[in-house]
Amino acid sequence: MTLYSAAVFIGFDIYEEAEHGVFEYLLSLPVSRRQLVLGRSIGGGLRSFIYVGPLIVVSLYVIGSINPLNFLVTLFSLFLFSFGVSGMSIAIAVMIKSSDRFDILMGVLDALIVRLSTAMYPLAYVQQANPLYGGIASFNPVTFAADLFRWGTGIESTFFTLQNPLLPFLGVVAFFSLFTLLGVTIYERMIEGGGWQ
Amino acid sequence: MKGIIRMIEHDFRNFLRYKWWLVGLVSMNLADLFIMAIIYNNMINVEKVKITSYFNFFAPGLTVTGLFASAFMIGREINMERRREVHHYMLSLPMTRLELALGRVLSGGLRGMVYMSPLLLTCFLFLGFPNVWQLLLILAVLFLLALGISGLSIAIAVSTSSLEKFITARGLIYYTLFFCSSVFYPLSLIEDLGKDGKFPAILVTLAELNPLSIASDMIRNFLLGEPPFSYFLLLNVLAFSAIFTFGAAFAYMKIIERK
Repeated sequence: MTLYSAAVFIGFDIYEEAEHGVFEYLLSLPVSRRQLVLGRSIGGGLRSFIYVGPLIVVSLYVIGSINPLNFLVTLFSLFLFSFGVSGMSIAIAVMIKSSDRFDILMGVLDALIVRLSTAMYPLAYVQQANPLYGGIASFNPVTFAADLFRWGTGIESTFFTLQNPLLPFLGVVAFFSLFTLLGVTIYERMIEGGGWQ
Repeated sequence: MKGIIRMIEHDFRNFLRYKWWLVGLVSMNLADLFIMAIIYNNMINVEKVKITSYFNFFAPGLTVTGLFASAFMIGREINMERRREVHHYMLSLPMTRLELALGRVLSGGLRGMVYMSPLLLTCFLFLGFPNVWQLLLILAVLFLLALGISGLSIAIAVSTSSLEKFITARGLIYYTLFFCSSVFYPLSLIEDLGKDGKFPAILVTLAELNPLSIASDMIRNFLLGEPPFSYFLLLNVLAFSAIFTFGAAFAYMKIIERK
């Protein structure tokens, strides 16, 4: 949940840069547009990862011993997830062009995407509450990331059942690929000629 | 008195400027109620927490948290006015300092009431309507609570020099008051944990005296018939409201003139 919320913040930076004229400076740098947006997505993903670092350490302290290989796969998946969320945030920020509207949309999206995931409760209970909620939660990237983290830290063997970690991993990869591609395409198209204003 | 009404009008105009932001906040509150609370319905241990429906239990708590969040918004505006030096303009207005300060506290509280109304109505629609006297008492207690929250947020806003400090203080207060209350879980559960030594005694006392607990439990008692509620506890809300309303008005008058 925190990783998702932290990765979204890159979108707010874009508005701040546009407001303070930093956008023009960034566009004048000797890097391609594609490199610029990829760099921003990686930066957004990395900094949110650093932000949740202490929380991960506390979780590991509470959970105790873990399988290092599983945990490395989990960390890699979480990085792809935060990379994808940054790409999504950049794409939406450049399309919407209003920090107020972006703020509202991300707030609503945050409320729905987090609550309709397994971040706070197991999937079985979500399905039991409402099949529609269960259907959405099953394909929610936050669900994939939360379940992979549980699998990587061994919690799922105690409290949850994650039959095949490959499926959520593929879900995270698909989410990351889609939104990175979207972010690059939309950013490239929208920023030329003052299109972000 | 005219000055106070002018200030309320000014702050309400500002409040309506954030209408889309408010729509976002309402949707988050409703997502909490119609998604999270419904899912928790199936997860709770009915025998242990003595709640048959978490949705019914949480609806009054959500109304109180909505009131808290919206009444706290006035602090953010006052902090921004201070940073952008708009307070010089406010001080130059033809009204006394007391009218200015009381107007700000009152408008913060009234804005909280306006925001909270649809949440309270949703609560009534699903849990049933109280009788007229109970409704009047609910509105009076929530208004006192909103005034106290508005005062608390104004006191923090004028005492902090940057938005970051204000937001940090706000976060600390939000989480302490929300989680050390009966908004999300029954007070009896917190007290049991305290007796078992699993929860610090000071936090149990805070949860018992917390005006958010008192307001939530009063609405629950009127609409659901439980938990037991004593009218004597309303003195806590009255004290909270009086301390922060007059404390904030005094702080606003004194600190804002110094800067």
